[in-house]
Formats: sequence, structure tokens, C-alpha cells
Amino acid sequence: MTAIISKELRTYFTQMSGYIFLALTIFITALFYVFINVFQLSPNFHFVLSNVTILFFIIIPTLTMRLFADEVRNKTDQLLYTSPLPIWHIVVGKYIAAAALFMIAMAVTMLFPLISANFGTLPFSQIVGAYIGYILIGLGFISIGLFISVMTENQIIAAVATAGAIFITFLLESLAAGMPADATSSLVFLIVCSLILGGVLYNSTKNIYGGIILAVLGIAVSVAFYLVNPLMYDGLIPGAFRWFSVFTRFDNMTNGVLHLADIVFYITMPIFFIYLTVNVIEKRRWK
Amino acid sequence: MIEVKNLTKRYGQHLALDNISFSVADGEILGFLGPNGAGKTTTMNIMTGYIASTEGEVLIGGVDIVAEPERAKAQIGYLPETPPVYGDMRVDEYLNFVAAIKKVKSAQRREMIAEIKALTRIEDMSRRLIKNLSKGYKQRVGMAQAMVGYPKLIIMDEPTVGLDPKQIIEMRDVIRKLGKKHTVILSSHIMQEVAAVCDRVMIINRGKILASDTPERLATALSQGNTMLVRIKGEQDKIAAALESYTVIKDVKFIGSREPSTVDVELQGENNVDIREAIFSCMSTNNLPILMLKSLDLSLEEIFLQITGQSQNEGTTGLGQLSEPQTGENAENSDETENSDETEKSQKTDEKSQKAENVENVEKKEETA
Repeated sequence: MTAIISKELRTYFTQMSGYIFLALTIFITALFYVFINVFQLSPNFHFVLSNVTILFFIIIPTLTMRLFADEVRNKTDQLLYTSPLPIWHIVVGKYIAAAALFMIAMAVTMLFPLISANFGTLPFSQIVGAYIGYILIGLGFISIGLFISVMTENQIIAAVATAGAIFITFLLESLAAGMPADATSSLVFLIVCSLILGGVLYNSTKNIYGGIILAVLGIAVSVAFYLVNPLMYDGLIPGAFRWFSVFTRFDNMTNGVLHLADIVFYITMPIFFIYLTVNVIEKRRWK
Repeated sequence: MIEVKNLTKRYGQHLALDNISFSVADGEILGFLGPNGAGKTTTMNIMTGYIASTEGEVLIGGVDIVAEPERAKAQIGYLPETPPVYGDMRVDEYLNFVAAIKKVKSAQRREMIAEIKALTRIEDMSRRLIKNLSKGYKQRVGMAQAMVGYPKLIIMDEPTVGLDPKQIIEMRDVIRKLGKKHTVILSSHIMQEVAAVCDRVMIINRGKILASDTPERLATALSQGNTMLVRIKGEQDKIAAALESYTVIKDVKFIGSREPSTVDVELQGENNVDIREAIFSCMSTNNLPILMLKSLDLSLEEIFLQITGQSQNEGTTGLGQLSEPQTGENAENSDETENSDETEKSQKTDEKSQKAENVENVEKKEETA
């Protein structure tokens, strides 16, 4: 795995994308720092971090777009996939390389609050909380970018799709407000989810009975709960959207509050997408 | 070393491989031969575990490539159609990376890479960026990559495509050297190439194996053995009269005149009797100069065209079909090629017969050609 990690890190700095990533991240964070903290004489660096979440649109795609797309285009994927390395070593190796570069950028931005610290007391817990949140979100988005990169051999498509996916996570919060909250729509929502889950199971195992059983079971349970206690279903759709909204959780952290549930959510995200990526590659080769 | 059983691959409706089975012995050099789209690359990609088969299994040294991919792949070096090189790496960096992912112990790496570079003659390129190398050198770096870790089995997909004649000869040399230590499978759509290096040729077309044998035996299976084409300076009547007294020559067929004041004759002896001496003495006693005398054995190109053509026309396969005499068709075939460059053709036939005894000679011949 170390071979893959070092190769990826090398490539970041021979193909410019590593420099572009570092320059963009550090420069724009510095800009926000100057406007929000220095000009306003404010110690609240966590406001800077909240504002630069907008950066994820640009920096995550530059980091992840080429990871797999480039290998396929150059046909070097044939070397990797016919080598004795297990697939998950390749995927995790690439993820760690991208994550390492992201952490380097984060380490540099930590200079800004340190500079401020010379001139007064900082809201320590808020800043640490914001950093933890920001880094975890970044690591999660990198895994999404990695996953999208494996789906296409075109870097531009990978970049645009990744930016789009990140944009949708931004929107989840506002979408939640506009969703119907009554019990009947919630039931329909759950039925659709059950069907999708059944379809996914069928698609990944090619076991039609398993898929049907899962879907029917899901629908049956949803309907049963609806008949017993429909009140339970009030506000379920907006709740689900908010649950998946990455940034709703981030707000807790910038207030200096760390919920275990939030941390678990953020850590699950990369594990889930790395698992999906490995599966997509394996499936392409063994079906 | 490798065993392929009932391999089938479907791309949607298209049947790329149709129930292919074969095995390769240790130390054998096997050549896949077939026109474009025959299924050579698909077979190789499945054998190396790059893509999956729809049905069937591949065992590398007894290890199933699907069930235990890591163990099976550790025994394979693969050079795909496009050499899988990273343009922004230097040759040394690249080979070190390959050694790392192939789990070569770091103590052995330096020595192994130096050896491989010497074998593929890329030592001078060690510090060059791969993207700045010519196609031929990229191909050699790709070949070096396949050799890293000295896998037991080396699979190469069209290793000489896009190279100049000198590089092709060098490449063949490397493959021959490889064949001494490793089992080698290579593919090509060029007959000569396969004949020059391979112990065994497998002709594939439309996802089926049409024939599998040594290049020599493939040639004799289809040849007419004792039929000679002779060009004689003189008149047809005179020649016919001269031949009458020689009973060894059973069948005389005048083809016509291709050069001024000459006649082309096809002569056939009885039951594999060598008639060349008879022809010589017959013509010399009658003062009829022989300008050309050549065997009507088919060159490998013709065999190839015939086998693949057959499968397209009739949909029949197998060597059984080939060993049946097909005099009429053969005669037609050779007649057609006659129109093209004769010297080239006779050289090819020569090559094939000499190949077994003296490979080096062939090389020199090609170089001069």
C-alpha cells in the first residue's frame, strides 16, 4: 500500500494538481482570515472555517478527479488490477494519499489561529470543534470524489460530478424545509426506500429472491408502523434529510459541541464510500 | 502451468469467446494468432484477472484466478496492448514502483531491475521520463515491467506492434531469451512473428480455437507435399515431350506463361516421392533451363487465411477438416499469391523450414531483407 500512497503523492506534485490544491486552499483561507479576523479584530477563527466550507466545491474535485479516471485513460489500471495487490489496498492507498495532502493544507491553515493567539485569548473549544468538523467533512468528501472518479474515465466529468454531489449535500438543509411532513408522504417515502434497497441488494448479489424479500419486508414493516401509530411518521422526510445533511452537524461543532453521533456519522461516510469503490471495481471484474 | 477450461465471454449479445479450452506446459512459448477482434486480447485479459469471464475457469499453476486472485496474479507478468506506463515517471522510478506493487523484496530490487534493463536494452533510458520515450522504448519498458519479479508466466499482447523492423528483431530475441526461463504466451496477427518465436501456434477466430500445433506441422497439415511449381524456358510441346519419359512425375499441369518465352508447370509426383531430382535431370538432358523451382507447400500466411476463411464461409472448425486434401482450393490459392511478389513468398517458405534448425539464420535473413 505504501507504494501506491507514495506514487499518488508524487503524481500530485508532478502534475500540478497538488500545487493548485494547496495554493487555492491556503490562499482563500488566508483571504477569509484577513477579512473576518484581522480587519474586524475578531478572535473567532471558527467563523473563517464556516465560511471556507464553500471551498470544498473546488478543492475536493481537484484532489480526487484524476485518482482513477487517469489510470483508466492511460490504461495503467491494467497494471494495478493485474498486480498481486488486493483491490482494497489500491483504493485505500489512493484515499490516504489524497487525505494526506488535505491534512497538509489543514496544518498550514492552523498557523492563522496561532498568529491570532499572540494578540489575545481565542475561543479554544469552538475553534478545535470547527477544525475537527471541517477535517472530517473534507475526508468524507474526498471519499465521495474517489468513488465518482472510479465511475468515469473522464477527469472533467469526475470533477463536475463531484462538485455537484457536494453541492447537493449543501442543499439538503434547505431541501428539508420544503419537504412534506405529513404521515402519508412519509409512508410513500419509506416504500420507495424499501424498493431501492431491494434493487441494490439484487444488483450487488444477483439474487432476485433476496431483493424481493428485503423490499417486501421493508414495505410490510413501514405499513405496519403506519397502521399502529401514524404520529410516529410526522416530519420523517425532513428529519431524514437533516440527518444526512453534513453541514447541519457541522454547525454543532462550530459551537464547540461534539456529539458522538455526529463523529460516528462523519467517520462512517469515508468507510461507506471506500467500500462502494472497492465493490464497483470488483464487480466490474467479476460479473 | 496454465489451464483454461471452457472459457466463454459475452458482451451483451456479442459472443467474444466461445467455450475455449487449452493448456500451456511449463517453459512453452505459445502464440495466439488471429485477425483483429478474434478474441486474443479478451482471452489474455481474462487469464490475467483483469476482466471476468462469463463462464469457465482459469488456473495459473493450479490456482484459480477468480478464487485466489492475489496468489494467481503473483505468478503472472502482463504486457497489455498499450504498455501500462506512467508518463511522468522516470524509467527507474517506474520499475521500482512495479517491483513494489509486485512485492519484490527491496534487497533484491536493485539487482533485478538492472538485469531486466540489460535484457530489454533500456539501460540508457534509466533517467528519462517515460513520456519522452519513443513508442519502441515505451514498449520495451512495458516488457521490462512484465518481467519484474520474474513471474513464472509472462503474457504479452501484440508485443511487437508499432515497432520498426530492427526493434522487432530485438524484441523477438528478448522473447526467445524469456522462453528459456519462463512460460510465455504472446499474441499477434502477424504470422511470421509467431512462427519465428513460438513452439506452438493457436489460431483463434471469432472466439474459437481453429487449430493448435507447431508452426511446421500446421504447414504440412495443409500442404500438398510433393507438388512443385516449375518455370522453364522453352516451348510447351517440347517440355511435355520431355516429361513423358519420366514416370515418377504423375501429374503435369501447364499453367501458362508469366515471363516471355517461358512456361509455368505444376508437377506432382506419386505418393510423396521427391521429384526434384527427376525434374532437374529431365530438363537438363533436354536442354531446357529451369528458371524457378519451388514447393507448393503453403506459407503460414496462406494457412492462416485458409483456416480463418474456412471458418467464416462454412462455420466449420478443427484440424480434422484441415488434414483432408483440398487440392482444388489450394491450387487456386497458390495461384493467386503467385501474382504477388514471388521472391518474398519463397523466402517465407524458406524461413519456416529453416526455423527449427537454425533460428539465428532466419534473423540474419530478415535483417538483410
